[in-house]
Amino acid sequence: MTAALTARSVQKRFGAAVALSNAALTLERGEVHALVGANGCGKSTLSKIIAGTVQRDSGDIVVNGAPLVLSSPAEAEANGISLFYQELSLIPQMSVEDNIFLGREPRNGAGFVDRKALAKKADALLQRFAPVAGRGLNSKARVSDLSPDQRQIVEIVKVLARDPDVVIFDEATAALDHRQVELFFRIIGEMKDKGVSFLFISHRLAEVFAVCDRITVMRNGESVDDFVTAETDMDTVVRAMVGDIAHDLDPAPSTDFTSASARLVVQGARGQRLQDVSFSLRPGEILGLGGLQGQGQSILLQSLFGAEPLTGGRVLIEGRPVVVRTPRAAVRHGFGYVSGDRGRDSALQGRSIFENMAIAEWVAERRRLVWPGRLQARLSEIAQSLNTKYPSLDAPIDALSGGNQQKVFIARWLATNPVVLLLDDPTKGIDLAAKADFFRLVRNLAAAGAAVLFYSSEDAELIGLCHRVLVFNSGRIVAELERAELTSFNLTGAAYGSAA
Amino acid sequence: MTLANALKGRVWLVTLAALIVLVIVNAYLQSNLFTPRVLKSNLTVFLPLVLIAVGQTYVILAGDIDLSVGAIVALVNVVTVTVIAGIGTEDAAAVLAGILAGLATGVACGLFNGFLVAALRLQPIVATFATGILFSGIALRVLPTAGLPVPAPYWRTYAGGLFALPVVLWIFIAVLIAVGILGARPFLRHLTAVGGHRAAAFQTGLAVTRVRIGGYVLAALFSAVASLCLTGETASGDPLMGGSLALGSVSAVVLGGTALSGGSGSAFGSVLGALVIGMIGNVIFFAGLPFEYQTLVKGVITLAALAGGVVIARR
Ligand SMILES: Nc1ncnc2c1ncn2[C@@H]1O[C@H](COP(=O)(O)OP(=O)(O)OP(=O)(O)O)[C@@H](O)[C@H]1O
Ligand SMILES: [Mg+2]
Repeated sequence: MTAALTARSVQKRFGAAVALSNAALTLERGEVHALVGANGCGKSTLSKIIAGTVQRDSGDIVVNGAPLVLSSPAEAEANGISLFYQELSLIPQMSVEDNIFLGREPRNGAGFVDRKALAKKADALLQRFAPVAGRGLNSKARVSDLSPDQRQIVEIVKVLARDPDVVIFDEATAALDHRQVELFFRIIGEMKDKGVSFLFISHRLAEVFAVCDRITVMRNGESVDDFVTAETDMDTVVRAMVGDIAHDLDPAPSTDFTSASARLVVQGARGQRLQDVSFSLRPGEILGLGGLQGQGQSILLQSLFGAEPLTGGRVLIEGRPVVVRTPRAAVRHGFGYVSGDRGRDSALQGRSIFENMAIAEWVAERRRLVWPGRLQARLSEIAQSLNTKYPSLDAPIDALSGGNQQKVFIARWLATNPVVLLLDDPTKGIDLAAKADFFRLVRNLAAAGAAVLFYSSEDAELIGLCHRVLVFNSGRIVAELERAELTSFNLTGAAYGSAA
Repeated sequence: MTLANALKGRVWLVTLAALIVLVIVNAYLQSNLFTPRVLKSNLTVFLPLVLIAVGQTYVILAGDIDLSVGAIVALVNVVTVTVIAGIGTEDAAAVLAGILAGLATGVACGLFNGFLVAALRLQPIVATFATGILFSGIALRVLPTAGLPVPAPYWRTYAGGLFALPVVLWIFIAVLIAVGILGARPFLRHLTAVGGHRAAAFQTGLAVTRVRIGGYVLAALFSAVASLCLTGETASGDPLMGGSLALGSVSAVVLGGTALSGGSGSAFGSVLGALVIGMIGNVIFFAGLPFEYQTLVKGVITLAALAGGVVIARR
């Protein structure tokens, strides 16, 4: 039987930068095949080449035994290939249903869009995700009003609506919590049984080992290794990815913060999706926000940063009440905010990497005039310490891989030396090594006296980094776990424990 | 809060309210406003801008802009009258030939604009500013000075009636129907998607270049029809016709709630926006302001209307 898809010695350059030097993989029919590698190694580029969005310089793509050119996304789709885009391919201003069927709208006899049929089909598809969709995800909702995980679900549905034979998921689980991931994997399993083939890209190796039959590892634009999942282990794969051993994170030392006076106090905060949230945070402390996706953790961080309104409660910094209505005010009070939703919150599209990194610094220091030279040195130092791969600070941000863009936005906020650092699922899309480096930087900042609030959709990150975790449910804090009680079991239990 | 929510994404509601206010003020200043004759003459004055604003909407929805629409009006006008004069007879056949030539000229202009912007990737503002000059130049070459009256059947029909209603009203109704039909076609969604997020639209498999060219052709086609209407009104050729229509149409589109950045809005809103701009002119005229203040006051009111819509929409 011929393979569903084969890529052989694919090469691609962007100007002087080599994105792919020798990419290759074979995807069998009805298998789930992982593609893993560090940030910027070329996974997304290879995916886009297979999906017809990017044109390769040389190499072969063979689908069902036939070599194809694939000069446009439409052509790839006609050959049964569908790609989940890491940065999503949704139109923010349009509704969920319009996005799902964009370009393939059902029509009636007169050539008009058959709205009823469209709504019905969209509802049927969304129905499968209903148990984990969260509030506000319905076929009429505007995509820009959705949370990051909901948007990812819409992109998944959009891909599935195309009835593909070959599906590429480029970090499709990056913003999903484990409940959503479970359901997603169940759907993959069902489709796999029907003969659909999947290429699965993720930095979460546990997921790779949970669903994938085989693993291809890429390094610096080259496919370097192939594994059968059942016959290998994570260490081996990680070694192949980074070329040396894993960067393991030792758990945070338990520290007694009770003596220090609070840096940040939140009393009875209320908002659209927050109910009576109170806690205090001391200098040097890393406080985690846990729970299922969308229970108010992100909203809390955005409210503290002035991007979402609080309707009640008080916020005190160093014992003084502050009112933060805009991000600008938040920055001046010493808040820093790293968002995992880079498309919406972070990117100055089309601008240079330097401008993208320096923007927060400019606001923080009330600069009207800047001397780029001095700042440049400092920013590139931070970027280097995260191993950011970029051609030069003057290159446009869009030229970076997804993970490397995220590192730029992390550098943006670390550069301001914030006194309260708000981290909103910040590691979305960054690779294992960079994650470890990032955690080290966060710890250093905390050790130097910053207070850190950290939300992550991955329990392992909370366990690895936090001194204490507040578990959220429906906009309330339902449990508080101290360092000693911080286990995956307890986190899951607390998240579900008081769920309605 | 609830009011702001209801208005979110519906700036045209504000525009509608502004239109009603203007109509009331106008009726107060001009007691015979609601007579058929005055209504018809108003519609005749407003119709060209309504048409061009509708066409401009499709370009702006796709994230582009067309500053050449005024020049297209002039070019279509001189081509139409020249073709009719060239045939030499004064009958319906000659008029029809002239109209078809004018429409074809419009489509050609739209294709050219679309080619420059979407295929050659020139900046829309710069490219259509330049093609506007080019089209004006061609218009002056075709007909150096105003003149060449159109035959009577043309302007009589335009000024006349059909089935008890004025022809201009039929044209207005036809515009609304055309807007409705276009709005129900997949093409409009594709335009909106291209304007909303071009890269995502491309990744979704839309033929982005073709869609953008389509927007320019629609804009030019509506401008051509507007030109034919103006020709019916002035009954002669004028290479300088339509000078202020390009920016007027952009104002109307924005007033009607379409985002200049593309991706959201509606052509119905632009119809309202164009009517508001027309009514502002009326009110100022009948308020009896000294001539030298009229333009100034018009600018202030237009600015206030634009700002009002934007402020309400942003909340
Ligand atoms: N449009 C572009 N212009 C210039 N360089 C690009 C462009 N797209 C990608 N690159 C470069 O190609 C390389 C591979 O990028 P790619 O996005 O494929 O990485 P990736 O493996 O998906 O990384 P990540 O895990 O961070 O998503 C990177 O070094 C990136 O900077
Ligand atoms: Mg990528």
